[in-house]
Amino acid sequence: MTKREEPKPSSNESSTITTRASRSRLKSILIEVAIQAANYALILLVSLLAGGLVILFAGKNPIEAYGALFDGALGGTLKIADTLDRASVLILAGLAAAVAFRTSVWNLGLEGQLYMGAFAAAWVGFSFHGLPLAIHITLVLLAGIVAGALWALPAIFLKIRWNVNEVVSTLMLNYIAILFTAYLVAFPFKDPAALFPGTPVLDASARLPRLIPGSVLNIGFILALVLAFVVNWFMFRSKQGYELRMVGLNARFAGYAGMPVKQSAFLAMMLSGALVGLGGAVVIAGFFGRFITSFSVGYGWDGMLISLLAQNHPLGVIPAALFYAGLSNGGMAMQSATGVDQAVVTVVKGTLLAFVTVKVFIDFLNRRLRKWAPSTS
Amino acid sequence: MGTLDILGRILTISLFATTLRMTTPVLFATLGGVFSAQAGIFNVGLEGLLTIGAFFAVVGSVTTGSAWGGLAFALVSCLIASLGFAIIHLELGADEIIVGLALNFIGYGLTNFLLIAMLDSTGFFQSPLLVGFETIRISLIDNLPVIGDLFSGHFSLVYLSFISVALAHWFLYNTPWGFHLRAVGENEEAAVAVGINARLMKYFGLSMSGVMCAFGGTFLSLAYLNLFSEGMPAGRGWLALAAINFGEGKPVKSMVAALIFGFTDALAIGLQQFGLPSQIVLMLPYVTTLVVLVFSAIRQQRRATATLAAAAAAEA
Repeated sequence: MTKREEPKPSSNESSTITTRASRSRLKSILIEVAIQAANYALILLVSLLAGGLVILFAGKNPIEAYGALFDGALGGTLKIADTLDRASVLILAGLAAAVAFRTSVWNLGLEGQLYMGAFAAAWVGFSFHGLPLAIHITLVLLAGIVAGALWALPAIFLKIRWNVNEVVSTLMLNYIAILFTAYLVAFPFKDPAALFPGTPVLDASARLPRLIPGSVLNIGFILALVLAFVVNWFMFRSKQGYELRMVGLNARFAGYAGMPVKQSAFLAMMLSGALVGLGGAVVIAGFFGRFITSFSVGYGWDGMLISLLAQNHPLGVIPAALFYAGLSNGGMAMQSATGVDQAVVTVVKGTLLAFVTVKVFIDFLNRRLRKWAPSTS
Repeated sequence: MGTLDILGRILTISLFATTLRMTTPVLFATLGGVFSAQAGIFNVGLEGLLTIGAFFAVVGSVTTGSAWGGLAFALVSCLIASLGFAIIHLELGADEIIVGLALNFIGYGLTNFLLIAMLDSTGFFQSPLLVGFETIRISLIDNLPVIGDLFSGHFSLVYLSFISVALAHWFLYNTPWGFHLRAVGENEEAAVAVGINARLMKYFGLSMSGVMCAFGGTFLSLAYLNLFSEGMPAGRGWLALAAINFGEGKPVKSMVAALIFGFTDALAIGLQQFGLPSQIVLMLPYVTTLVVLVFSAIRQQRRATATLAAAAAAEA
């Protein structure tokens, strides 16, 4: 496959044409951005309305509730820092989903891979002692990466070998991982001193350094941001990333074009498991400090929603994850301030997801805006 | 106590009777998914529909003071939910898998929220006001050994779930609507070309998913247990997807997979009495599902290869 060649200006005349062309392309991009922004604003409005109706039904004031939510997410430096901290695991989970979904690998097993990554990270954190900080932290994060990828392995192996539907197999592996780690902390690795069933506490040398005094925000957030750019580079600038995207668009066609379809699916699944496993390690070593059963309030599931909201774009995952982190943290604050249960946030998230692939809004906006600017076909 | 000894004490008639009971919710959800699958829609929202059904059955039971009233509430709410799915997918053009996933989130969030707003409880709801279903003794077979123990004394919904399999089979293969539904699922363009209203059929398939999941959800909260708890279906909607996958969308064949899951569920309950860690025992249905999936995939692959070989032989 050859990449599209950019037109090269050879004379003055053609260079004016190119300038005009690039100006109209800029216009086209601006319109595209405007359409996307309007579309997102519209589906956000629909979702907040759905949540508002539910709040009204409970006899509470939606505006007051949303106000408390906003304040809980962004009201003050510490609250913002906590929201950023929650976003770190969500960015990693969102990236994991984006890589898989772009390749049309339906990895719905992020939650299970997160649990396995989190447990492995915790184990490395409390089992080894006396290691230097940098080495211990690196090992903890590596353990999360490896365990997450390993837990993604059976599903993609079965898919490649016998064409077993990965939607169902990854879902089943979720339940198995959650029960298995629950077993591990209930019996072999139980810390008798812990209030909830959990492992012993991680050594200080295994904890991610904090960034702001008084907040749980730690270097995990920076790591997640950097990885978003790395994954973006990989998907859009590297040969393998190009193959992944082509396989995702049309596996049969990519196969005819000589691309390694099975290897691409395998690579996408492994990267996906590794990224979300790292997310598990970050949330344990950065926030909890030990592995606790049901520590995850659906980080893996949220990762899928975030990726879909970002149209599976690695850089789009960052704002989407920040938005979700704000919703989650704000939801907790809303519950304690106004008594409106934070379950309403799940309704808002679900409605957003239901409408994110809706085509009519965007078609309508396209028709309207393109009509104003017919020169940019 | 040896392994054989444990097996001897578990493999009793009551285990198989429990199997029928544990199969029921998965079977209802499976049939629900079958109707969508036959219309060409992979409905991953079954888990959410079961949750909505289970919750509104409880609300209906408390409001009307009758288990059948609970069922009616479940039916209405699940129909509304599945029609919402249908509208967002068919009219607004959203992706079916993503809307299905969204339905699971909305179902989970909405029921948790309403649990507090309507029933004033957190996590779960249990009350003497909650009227559940009664078991039925079938006098004809009640006194027969083995058969009586196995088939008599179940909830009416248990019988209904197995009758529904026969009805669904009859409907799909013997009525014009059933034929139309399958035609849309097999080749939508061809179906439209011969004058079948594909959109109507898809609405119908999704609505039937709602109806069946209403029965399944009601069974969970008003028969199997007399309470509602957060995330009550515990993955049964996903198991149903595996059953449909195994049964290639056919009612009777999918029922076989649902029975296997029901059996492992019953086995897990039985094994917990022997002091095995509950976390390990509870993995059983999910591990079994994986094994069943692999077997059916291998079989489907073999058949595909055989068809190809036969086609090649016919050409030569």
